[in-house]
Amino acid sequence: MTQNVSVDDDTARDLLEEMLRIDIFEEETKERFGEGEIPGFVHLSGGHEGSHVGMGAAMRDDDWLAVGGARLIGQYIAKGVPLPEIMAELYGRVGGSNKGHGGQMHVSDVDRRLYGHAATIGSGQNPAVGLGLAEEMKGTDNVAVTTIGDGGTSRGSFHTALVFAAYWDLPVVFIIENNEWAISTPAESLSPDHLSDYGIPHNMPTESIDGSDVEEVYHTVAEAIERARNGEGPTVIESRVVRLVPHFEGDKETYRDEEAYERAKEEKDPIENYRERLLENDVITEDELEDMVANIEAEVEEAVEFARESPEPEPEAAYDHVYQLPLYGQGEEQ
Amino acid sequence: MTREITYVQAIAEAIDEELERDEEVILFGEDVEEFGGNFGETEGLYEKHGRNRVRNTPLSEIGIAGMALGAAVGGIRPVAELQFADFAATAGDEVFNQIPKQPYVSGGQIEAPLTIFAPSGAGIGAGAQHSQSVHSWLGNVPGWVVVTATTPYDAKGLFKSAIRDNNPVFFLPHKMLSETKGEVPDEEYTLPLGEAAVEEDGEDVTVVATQLMFHRAKEAAAEVDADVEIVNPRTFAPLDTETIAESVRKTGRLVVVDETVERYGTQGHIANEIVENDFFSLDAPPKTIGVKDIPIPLSPPLEQEALPSADRIANGIESLF
Ligand SMILES: Cc1ncc(C[n+]2csc(CCOP(=O)(O)OP(=O)(O)O)c2C)c(N)n1
Repeated sequence: MTQNVSVDDDTARDLLEEMLRIDIFEEETKERFGEGEIPGFVHLSGGHEGSHVGMGAAMRDDDWLAVGGARLIGQYIAKGVPLPEIMAELYGRVGGSNKGHGGQMHVSDVDRRLYGHAATIGSGQNPAVGLGLAEEMKGTDNVAVTTIGDGGTSRGSFHTALVFAAYWDLPVVFIIENNEWAISTPAESLSPDHLSDYGIPHNMPTESIDGSDVEEVYHTVAEAIERARNGEGPTVIESRVVRLVPHFEGDKETYRDEEAYERAKEEKDPIENYRERLLENDVITEDELEDMVANIEAEVEEAVEFARESPEPEPEAAYDHVYQLPLYGQGEEQ
Repeated sequence: MTREITYVQAIAEAIDEELERDEEVILFGEDVEEFGGNFGETEGLYEKHGRNRVRNTPLSEIGIAGMALGAAVGGIRPVAELQFADFAATAGDEVFNQIPKQPYVSGGQIEAPLTIFAPSGAGIGAGAQHSQSVHSWLGNVPGWVVVTATTPYDAKGLFKSAIRDNNPVFFLPHKMLSETKGEVPDEEYTLPLGEAAVEEDGEDVTVVATQLMFHRAKEAAAEVDADVEIVNPRTFAPLDTETIAESVRKTGRLVVVDETVERYGTQGHIANEIVENDFFSLDAPPKTIGVKDIPIPLSPPLEQEALPSADRIANGIESLF
C-alpha cells in the first residue's frame, strides 16, 4: 500500500537527506572504528534515524536538545553539529566539538543548543528541566527536548524529571525512543502498555507513535513543542523504533530472535521505507537520490579527512577546563 | 561599622543581597519558601523576592541538583539547597558525575555557575545519615569548588563569592554553628574563594581547622603551653596549600583537625601536601585528627566520642613537642 507524503516536497527531501546523512556517517564511523582509528566504544543508531530526524526537524535552532539513550551520533547530526566536528570528536582530536575532552558519549555544542549527553543513562532529563526553567526565566519561548531509551526510563531520575517539569509546567518535551532493548533486557517486560504512560500520573499529554516513520515523529514532536512554547507544559512521547544494529559495535546479539530481527529489518527500516515512499509519490527520482547520496558521501569523506588531519591534543590540555580561572573571578576578566 | 548577627542570618543576608544584585540568581530547594529552611537560613527571602525567584521544590535531591545544572547551563545562576549535606549522596550521579564533569567533557563550552549549599557536620544528635561532613567526598571530584564556613563573617562573604563564581561551588555551612553570633560588616563585602586565612598568629605550631573544629582548636590552643597559629582553609578544593606551607615554614609543626573521618579524610591530604613538598620545614611528624572511623552515632556521649574534642586536639598539639 502506498503511503501519502504529508509534508511539502522540500521538507520531505530534507528529511530523507538527513536520515541518509546519519546512515552514511555512521557506516563510515563503523569502518573507522573497525580499523582502530576511533578509540573507546561506539553505539550506532540504525533503525532510529526517523526518530532522530523527525525530532530534529521539529525543533527550532534555539531549542535545546539534551541527548539520552545510547544512540547518540544521529542525534548530534539531527541537531546540526557539523560532521567534521563530530568526527574529530570521535577521534579525540583538537578539532572536535569538545577538543577531544568528550568523545562519542559527550559531544556538546552549546552554540547550537546541544547540551550533550549524560553518559550515566537517565541523568540528562533533570538538566533538561533546568534548561526549560532557564528559558522560561529569561522570558523566551524556547523549549528543551530530551531523549532517553526504554531502559533509561526505569531510573528514578527520569521519573523525578517528570515530577519537576509538571510541578512548574515547564517547556520540556520528553521523548522515549523505545527500541525494545536495553542492551539485552527487553522493554516488553516493563509493565506499562506504552512507556509514554509514565506521563499519565502527571497529567501530561502522552503519545505513543511509530518512531520509524519520520513524518509521524515530525508532526507529533512539532505539536508537543508548540504546546510547550505556548506555556502548556511538558509532553511525553514514546517513539517506537527498532534497533537494527548491535547495542555497540562488537555486541554479538545472542539474545535476539533471528526471525523477528529479520522481519524488523524488512518492515521497520525508516530509511528504506521513506525512500520508497518518496519515489512512489514522485517526490524524488532515482537520479536525484543518487546525487544526494554521492554528495553526502563526499561530505563524510571530508569529515574523516578533517578528523585525521586534526592534531592530537597536547598532553597538557588534559588540565584545561577543570575550573574556570581565575577562581573567584568577580569583577575580573575570565 | 559592624554588627553582631547569627551564622544563619549571615547566610540569609548573602542570598538576599545576591538575589537583589543579580536578577539571574534564583534560589530553590525543599522548604525554602515560608518555612524558611530547616535552620532558618532562607527566612524572609520568599516574602521579599517572590515565587519566581525563591521556589520550593518537590522532595528530590536528584531533581534539585539536576535542575540546577541545566538551569546554570541555560544561563541563570541557581542557588540550590539540600537540607543536609549527607543528601549529596541521594543525588549521587548529579553531584559526582554530572555537575563537576560536564564543563570538562564539553571542552570548556559548558559553564555551570551554580551553587549548592547544604548544612554539614555533627553535634546535634541527628544520627549517622544527617551528620556527615562531606567535603572529602566532594574534594575527590575535580570540578567542584568546595567551601566551608567557620564564622558568620565567613559565611556571608564566602557564600556571596560562591554565588558569583562561574564554577560549580558546593558550600557547606556547619549546622552546629547556626546560632553562633559574630561581627559582620554593615557594608557589602565578599571574601575570596581558594584562599586560606590565618586566623590566629603563633610561632610554635600550625593548626589547620575549619567550622566547628576551628572553634575547638581555639579552645585547645588556650589549654596548651605553645604559641598556636590557626589557619582556616575556607576552600577545601582547590586547596590553598601555599598559605598552610608558609605557616609551617614558620612554626615547623603541623596539626590538621577536620570533621571528615580519619580514614581517607581531608586531614591526610593536607598533611601530605606539606610532607611531600615542605618536608624539611617540619621539626616533627604532622598530626592528623578527625572523626573516628565509625558512622556518627546518635547518643550525645557517643557522638562526642566520634568527634575531635578540644582535649584530643590539645593532646595532638602537645604530642609534637
Ligand atoms: C546509569 C547507567 N546504568 C547503566 C549503563 C550501561 N548502559 C549503557 S547503555 C545501556 C542500555 C540502555 O538502554 P536504553 O535506555 O533502552 O537505550 P538504547 O541503548 O536502547 O538506545 C546500559 C545498561 C549506563 N550507561 N548508565
